[in-house]
This record gives sequence, C-alpha cells and structure tokens, in this order.
Amino acid sequence: MTTMPDKRKAPRQTTPKAAPQRVSDASLEAIIEMRGIIKRFSNAAGEFTVLKGVDLMINRGEFVSIVGKSGSGKSTLLNMITGIDHPSEGQVIVNHNDIYTDVSESARSKWRGKNLGIVFQFFQLLPMLTLLENVMLPMDYVDMYDFDERPKRAMELLKLVGLEKFANKLPVLVSTGQQQLAAIARAMACDPPLLIADEPTGNLDTRSADTIIEIFEHFVEQGKTIVMVTHDPSLTSRTHRNIIISDGELIDETISRGLPQLRHRHMLEFTKIAERRLYQPQETIVSRDEKLDHFYIIRKGEVEIVLQKQRSKETILSRLGADEFFGEAELVRGGKSIANVRAGKTPVEVVAIPRADFNRVMDESPITVDAISKIVQKRLQEHRMADPRKR
Amino acid sequence: MTIPIIELRNVHKTYSTVAGDFPALKDINLSVNTGEFLGVVGKSGAGKSTLLNMINGVDGLSSGEVLVYANGQRVSVHDLNEDEKALWRGRTMGVVYQSFQLLPMLSLIENITLPMDLAGNFKPRESRERAMELLRLVELEEHAGKLPAFVSGGQQQRVAIARALANDPDILVADEPTGSLDSVTADHIFDVFSHLVADRGKTIVMVTHDMGLKSRFTRYLTITDGELEPPSVEDSKPKRSRKK
Repeated sequence: MTTMPDKRKAPRQTTPKAAPQRVSDASLEAIIEMRGIIKRFSNAAGEFTVLKGVDLMINRGEFVSIVGKSGSGKSTLLNMITGIDHPSEGQVIVNHNDIYTDVSESARSKWRGKNLGIVFQFFQLLPMLTLLENVMLPMDYVDMYDFDERPKRAMELLKLVGLEKFANKLPVLVSTGQQQLAAIARAMACDPPLLIADEPTGNLDTRSADTIIEIFEHFVEQGKTIVMVTHDPSLTSRTHRNIIISDGELIDETISRGLPQLRHRHMLEFTKIAERRLYQPQETIVSRDEKLDHFYIIRKGEVEIVLQKQRSKETILSRLGADEFFGEAELVRGGKSIANVRAGKTPVEVVAIPRADFNRVMDESPITVDAISKIVQKRLQEHRMADPRKR
Repeated sequence: MTIPIIELRNVHKTYSTVAGDFPALKDINLSVNTGEFLGVVGKSGAGKSTLLNMINGVDGLSSGEVLVYANGQRVSVHDLNEDEKALWRGRTMGVVYQSFQLLPMLSLIENITLPMDLAGNFKPRESRERAMELLRLVELEEHAGKLPAFVSGGQQQRVAIARALANDPDILVADEPTGSLDSVTADHIFDVFSHLVADRGKTIVMVTHDMGLKSRFTRYLTITDGELEPPSVEDSKPKRSRKK
C-alpha cells in the first residue's frame, strides 16, 4: 500500500471578517448618517471628485426623495448608502452601524440583505423564476424565516402589491409595472427597516408609478424609511423631504424649500455663502428703518413682523414660519426695512444671504424675482394688509 | 444526417382581448437542428417573443405541439404541468433577454452561482468553479468579484449569457439580446454565441427586429403577422463568396 502525500495545506491565516459595528455616538433618531463623505474616481482623464464632503442625516420613518441633474452625484450618493460602492473618505452609519470601517465585502453583503431593500429602475427579476420565487430569493440568500414559512410570506407580500394572482407566472408574462411591483415585494422580503430606490418609476407609465408611490406611502405609515432618487416632480411632491444634490454637494434644504424656482447652481452658491443665525425668543432680527443687508429664510421657529406706530401699541402685521422668507422687497428695491422683525415665542433659526449676492442672483433669475413678488403679494393679501408706507 | 432538437407542429397561439381574438401565431411548423444558430427576424408585434415563449413553455399554446429532444428525452413541452415545466426548462434551456436582469447586490460570479445553487445540481465548490469557467468563456474572469454596476452593459449581458449556461443547457433562447447594446459590443455577444454553437455544440434560437443581423446566423427565418417565412431567394444566396 502506498501512502499518498498529504496535500492538506496548513490552516489559512484568515483576517477577521467583521460585521458592521455599532457606532457609540450615532444619532438615535437617524437611520442614515453620512459624515464628511468624499468620493473620488480616477480614470484615464485623471482624478475627479464626485462627492465633495456630504453630511446628511435621515431619520427613521422619513420618506425622502433625492433629485439632481445627470452627473450631479445622486446615484453615487445612493451607492454609498447601499454599500454598492465605498467612500474615499468619511463615515456612513446605517441603522447605527458603521458599514465601511473594517467591514469585509461579504459581511456587508449579508448585513445589507437583512437591513436594506433595494429597488432599481430595471427590475432585475430573475427571468427563470416565477414572481413568487423571485420574492423568496432574498429570504433564501440571508437565510431568514423558516424554510416552510418563506412561500407564505412571499405570497403575503405579493398580495400587498396586488399580484397574488400572478404569483406563479414568470416575469416575462406580466407587464413592466407588475414586474416593478414584484421587485418591490422582493425588496421588502426580509422586512428591512430601510428601502432604497433608484428611479423606481423611471421606466413606467404614470398609473403604474402612482400605484408604486401608494405602496411606498403604505410602508412609510408602517414605520419604514424610504430614500428614493427620482426625476419626477410628481413624486417629490409626495415625499416628506426633498434633498437636492448639485455638483457633488447637498443644497441646504431651507434654501431649496424657500426658493424652489432657483437654478440648482444658484441654490448651491447660496448654500455656501449663507450664514446660519440663531435668535432668542422676542429678540430683534431687523429694526425698522435699519438698512437691510441680508435676505433671510426661516429654518426653524416663528418670526413676527411688528409695526410700532408712534405713541400707540404695537401691531403684529404678520407671522412667518419655516421656509418663509423676509427682507426681499427692501432688498429688491434697495430700501430700508418697513417694520421690525423679531423672533416669536420660541428660538428662531434663520439662513441669511448677503444682499450683494442675493441681488446678483436675482438679476440672473427673473423667474425667481417674479415668484418672490407673487409670494409677497399673496402673503400681504392673506393677512389683509398693505404696505403701511403706501397708506 | 441532422438531428432535430426542437420541433413545432401546427402551433397556433391566439390571445383573447377586449377587442376580440388576436392570432399571434398561425400554424407554425418549424424544425431546429442540433448545433444550429437560428435567427427569427421580424417587426415588433410580428409574434417573435410569443414564438420563443412557445418553445420554452413560458406561455401556453392554443393548439399544436412543441417537441424538444434533449438530455436523452423527448418532451412534449406543453403536456408538462407548471412544476415539471420549470424543472425541465431549468435543465434544458437557458434564456437571455434584452435587459440583463443581474442582481445588483451580488457580484458577477454570485449572479452565476445563484441558479446553480437554486437548482441544486452542483455542490457549492463545484458551482463556484463552474461559474469561474463560464466567466472565462465570456472573457470576464478578472471581473468576477465586481458588482454589475461596475462593468459595462455589454459585459453585463455576457454575464447574463454565462448565467443562462449555468446548468449546462443544450439550448439557449435569446430575445433581442443585443437590443440595448452598441454595434461593437453586440458583435462581441455574437462571437460568444458563435463559439457556443461551433465549439460547444449548443443550439441557439434568437429573435430580433434587426434585419442587419441576419448574416450572423447559420439560418434565419422571417416572421410576419404570426407566420414564418423562409428567406427570399435574394437573401438565400451564398453570403461570403470568395473573390476570384
């Protein structure tokens, strides 16, 4: 008898494949926290930076849309959250876990299976599997739920999206809208707290798109968080928050909500130069007849516009809340304040844009000037007030 | 003598719509031989995809018969029940569509091992080795660990082809597989198909609307309003006659 040489190798030195670790100072309310995310790509033409220091916090239960022009970095931003790509610098915390630091690709893949549902524009259903089998796939992959329970759960999800009748059909036999609904059911198979969707309605007619948003709203009501990249304004109007990315940077949401008519590059310019100021309750922000040197948008709290006539009691002309602005008419006209402006009963946070910059952008954007004057007119009418100086 | 691998006999497919019955396929008789790369060319709505769905049993026929001789078995596809059909299809036929449908969160190699793991025909280590071999076949082995988002559309389609071959089917059916690719990338896909037919003994049935592709098939037919037609005399002339 001959002995075979022992071909067994010495035990391999394996590096620990750490799963994502809990971050001690992670915000409790946030499900996504991005801290100083920079993403650089290199190609033959050299190196370029797609994300230039993104800080973003998305809270549990929020329905968020992300918009931006082609090439603005929105898909890259989404890839940072899904772990499909990794940042060059910075930290991404999802569900309190740092998903990049010392995390292997395969550990991240398993983690993703349990924590994230992902939906893409082209539905990525496996053509050789029925809709039901496609929905069961993630449960098999991360080995969640008992083997016998999986078909039942998949059927419930198909019922939820209105496809139970088609459960045993192959994807090619149902419409594209139905394929996307099945892809959504599959994304929710392992009951993840977070759903990420990249142009989920980009390939669909408006009716199918509408059904999908209704289903998203249903998930949000159940406490899920949804982050969706989209081009479609009819969808952004139905989300809680709309984040705009321009040239690799996020636009201040107070600015984009306050001045939605601005071009993205102007919003970004304002984002960079704006000062954030905080006022205590009843503190004066602008005094009457003071030369105005800023345009203000309210981020938080309520502001009172007060007229103090000589020897009489003060009159509160108007109260403005979050995303409303003041200081516009005077700036456009180049005049002084027509009334006192002060913080209301709670602290007020404002975004202040210097006058020269505001005027320069207004010169380039007649649509915004027009929109601002309409808003002001409407506001004055609503409060049944006229400019006191015209009386 | 050539051996038929697929035979369609008097196949009719009629869809009922609110506007009345619509005959999508009318009395199709077709015999495909082992080792053929058959192209079926026709306009949108001519019945191309329906024809493929009859061959792989994805959709039911109204009358007629589809016979497939593979894995040493003669199968009348539409006599199988849904479960039997799915099992049979998984072993016998690979499918490639215009959109590649790779799972975005799995690497290229995982996308290929997936159908093998689902079918359970291979042990995990075998399926990985086999997937690597298939990636080599489509010249993508150095990208094995990448996610689909990081390779080009043409490369994704090659992965989809590798995936369709995962369970080593004798037949590949392809519905506009080059429809969303540029011509250079499409050429590369045809090279892969031609290699599969010439060197691996596979049989391929591909449908397309693109008349310009007909010279790439070993045989082609046109389909118009649900009826198959042989190529015209002009088109049947030898294609690559050598210059004298």
